[in-house]
Amino acid sequence: MASQTHTNATDAGQPDPTDGGDHSFRVEGISKSFRHVQALKDVSLAVDHGEVIGLVGENGAGKSTLLNILTGVLQADEGQLFVDGEAVTFTNPREAANYGVSLVHQEQDIIKTMRGYENLYLGRELERLGVLEKEKMRKEAQAFVDDLGINIDVDERVRNYSFNERQMLEIAKAFHVSQKSENPVILLDEPTAALEESGRQILFDLVNDLRDRATFVFVSHELDEVLQISDRIYVLKDGERVADMATADATTETLQKAMVGRETADEYYRVPDQQRDTELGETALTVDGAVHGDTVGPISLSVREGEIFGIVGVEGSGKQQLGRLLAGDLAITEGSVSVGDTTLQSPTVSDMVDAGVGYIPKDRKSEGLLLYQSVLVNTSLAMVRDMNGNVPLLDLDAERQATVDAIEELSIKTPGPDALVHGLSGGNQQKVVIARWLAQETPILVMDNVTRGIDVGAKEEVYRLCRELTDQGVSIVFIGDELPEVIGMSNRIAVMANGEFVGEPIDASPGNKPTEQDLIQEMI
Amino acid sequence: MSTSGVSEWITDQREQRTLHDWIQDLGPFVMLFGLILTFSFTTDRFLTEANLLDNVAKNAVTLLLVALAGTFPILQQSIDLSVESIVLLTGVVTVVLISQFGLGLLAIPIAIGAGMLAGLFNGIIFTKLKVPSFLVTLGTLSVMAGVGKIITGGSTITFRNPAIRTISNGEVLGIPNLVLWGLLIYVGTIVLAFRTKFGRYCFALGENERVVELAGAKVDRYKIYPFVLSGLLCGTAGVLLTLRISSASPNIGSGLLLPSIAAIVMGGTALTGGVGGPHRTILGVLVIAVLNNGMNLLGIDSFVQEIILGLVVVGAVALSIDREKIDVVK
Repeated sequence: MASQTHTNATDAGQPDPTDGGDHSFRVEGISKSFRHVQALKDVSLAVDHGEVIGLVGENGAGKSTLLNILTGVLQADEGQLFVDGEAVTFTNPREAANYGVSLVHQEQDIIKTMRGYENLYLGRELERLGVLEKEKMRKEAQAFVDDLGINIDVDERVRNYSFNERQMLEIAKAFHVSQKSENPVILLDEPTAALEESGRQILFDLVNDLRDRATFVFVSHELDEVLQISDRIYVLKDGERVADMATADATTETLQKAMVGRETADEYYRVPDQQRDTELGETALTVDGAVHGDTVGPISLSVREGEIFGIVGVEGSGKQQLGRLLAGDLAITEGSVSVGDTTLQSPTVSDMVDAGVGYIPKDRKSEGLLLYQSVLVNTSLAMVRDMNGNVPLLDLDAERQATVDAIEELSIKTPGPDALVHGLSGGNQQKVVIARWLAQETPILVMDNVTRGIDVGAKEEVYRLCRELTDQGVSIVFIGDELPEVIGMSNRIAVMANGEFVGEPIDASPGNKPTEQDLIQEMI
Repeated sequence: MSTSGVSEWITDQREQRTLHDWIQDLGPFVMLFGLILTFSFTTDRFLTEANLLDNVAKNAVTLLLVALAGTFPILQQSIDLSVESIVLLTGVVTVVLISQFGLGLLAIPIAIGAGMLAGLFNGIIFTKLKVPSFLVTLGTLSVMAGVGKIITGGSTITFRNPAIRTISNGEVLGIPNLVLWGLLIYVGTIVLAFRTKFGRYCFALGENERVVELAGAKVDRYKIYPFVLSGLLCGTAGVLLTLRISSASPNIGSGLLLPSIAAIVMGGTALTGGVGGPHRTILGVLVIAVLNNGMNLLGIDSFVQEIILGLVVVGAVALSIDREKIDVVK
């Protein structure tokens, strides 16, 4: 399935992971499978003292799995970890921390109602005769962060911290946890994802200041950041290490090529299958000056049958809220939404579903799926609404047929309609969410990051499916964080900032696609 | 993934069936047979038709209805603790309507309606005011018991109407009507749970309310219905119970809450919602009914019975609770 293009750009002068030299941290031949999915395949990497390593790869490339293995959250099936030349096995994060390896999480890992120093000492409190030595912890914590050059008041409650300060506290915690080690290894998992520009700079300065006191592994989707901060970059793709290059030799393009590594963007997103303007039908969805409180709007847009309308914007631009508003989940306080000829003033989710709008949320685990229910129950969850008219009984045959059809049509890999969704892979789970709307032939789909966290193969199938749907006249509002994807898929793209569209939607018809740069300029 | 991948995975799934799964599935059966065997050998009277029908089965019906009532709120991850007070209230209302207002048969729908109203009240406070159902029904447990006791004036009230009594006390082909009502309602709740939209949403809500909401269901409505149903079933239990003994004392229904929840959980409906169903609740009910009857026949002191029942309940819950879904037990 996957073409095995190895873009191995290892320079002769670069450290070879297998030479067993004086590396701070070394990983040899790590493999890990979950059931039938091979998440990591023979991955090796080595980090020198004082180095900042970049680790990049698409969603599902295995970055998180690797980090989890490095910190003892997961155990590798094969392979070996070395810290300062010593072979080690971590069975939990605490053991990893004892060797100086700690992770700063994507989702912040601190307790907001507690004070800074309490978080710093969480789980390792200083006690005397069973009584907490608060004053001692507070003083030592303040001295500790001051020494790192981190400017926070550890006596303050964390909920009063800015987002940036929380991040700083997390990094301080990572140092604190591993302070027994002479050379801590700090893994930063997408640390800038939620930061404002100024916050990013502060973070980079901190990493630069501390680079002779620790080794950093920097995981990020933002390639320019990785290029800015790291000395060397590893690229993971489909669970394999496909490139290892010095930052000096790398560019955004070479990294991207290594990450995607298979074909041109046009083929990947099936651009030739995109509906031409002349093929689009009537206007299916119209939003007329819709506002939600202070966060969204006024927004006006219209989407035609068969069209994919892309929406991009930075975190906090309101694009996710706009999706919720179209779903009926956020109240429209001013303006209206029309589906076909029906105008809805302040629709509920139920009204929107009645009108023919199906919403696919960003977080499928918490909002998209009943994980411990069957594929059948999940697939028919929307269609049971108006099953059999006024007869209270469900049409069990109809829902089974719809489920079997969906499994076939979307090639959902499941032992059968009655298997629990919990056991399916991420991609197949997402297909079940999509199947729910297909089962009742929903003409308008609002997708928020529909390919988030699913593997490359499943992504391609989702793209194919979107093309098939639009071919049948389905309209899609395609909200996304991944710019190449939104550009590749959409007919038009609206850029959001501060809850509103920036200018008119940008044309993205085949042959006339905007570049990422075009969009980014508008986004910030 | 190829077909071999799929079959591999099916094997995987099979292998994942743990000892705990087996205990959960077969536990109540094993317990029931164990108890029946024990009491068959230790007492002469247990295995007689008179005992099984008149004592075990009849006594089990009230508990069965209350346990079925409690199953639906628990399926959708809330809980109705007011069940026994609804039994009390509707029982008292039945007696008063027949004896003091001379309403005859009409007393039955009114009393059951009162139960549904009580359930509706629970459901609305829970859903619209967003008070945890645990607290709402703990409150109404006390309120409704108080109201019921005031109506009785603190002593047992009675009625005389042999015709109405046959609804509960008569028999068809040798089977007590009470038992037939119980079975009929039991089958009805199974249909509700597995063949209706209401039932489907109960399971779905018990697992994740957001998902159901985003799928377009009118969630508030479907969160209230289980409480109304609970009121209906407890009301029915209250009516049948008072018709059987043609009286209502200030403490009828008391002591039903704990065994009913125990029966629900033993039957495999997790307190965390989303799994189980009324079909197996009957197993838990039978275990408790047999245990009660057997202990009575053995002449075990009633206070000691309370201790044993409590221990059995905690033990059964500990064995049958679905831990996979729970991260933190609170």
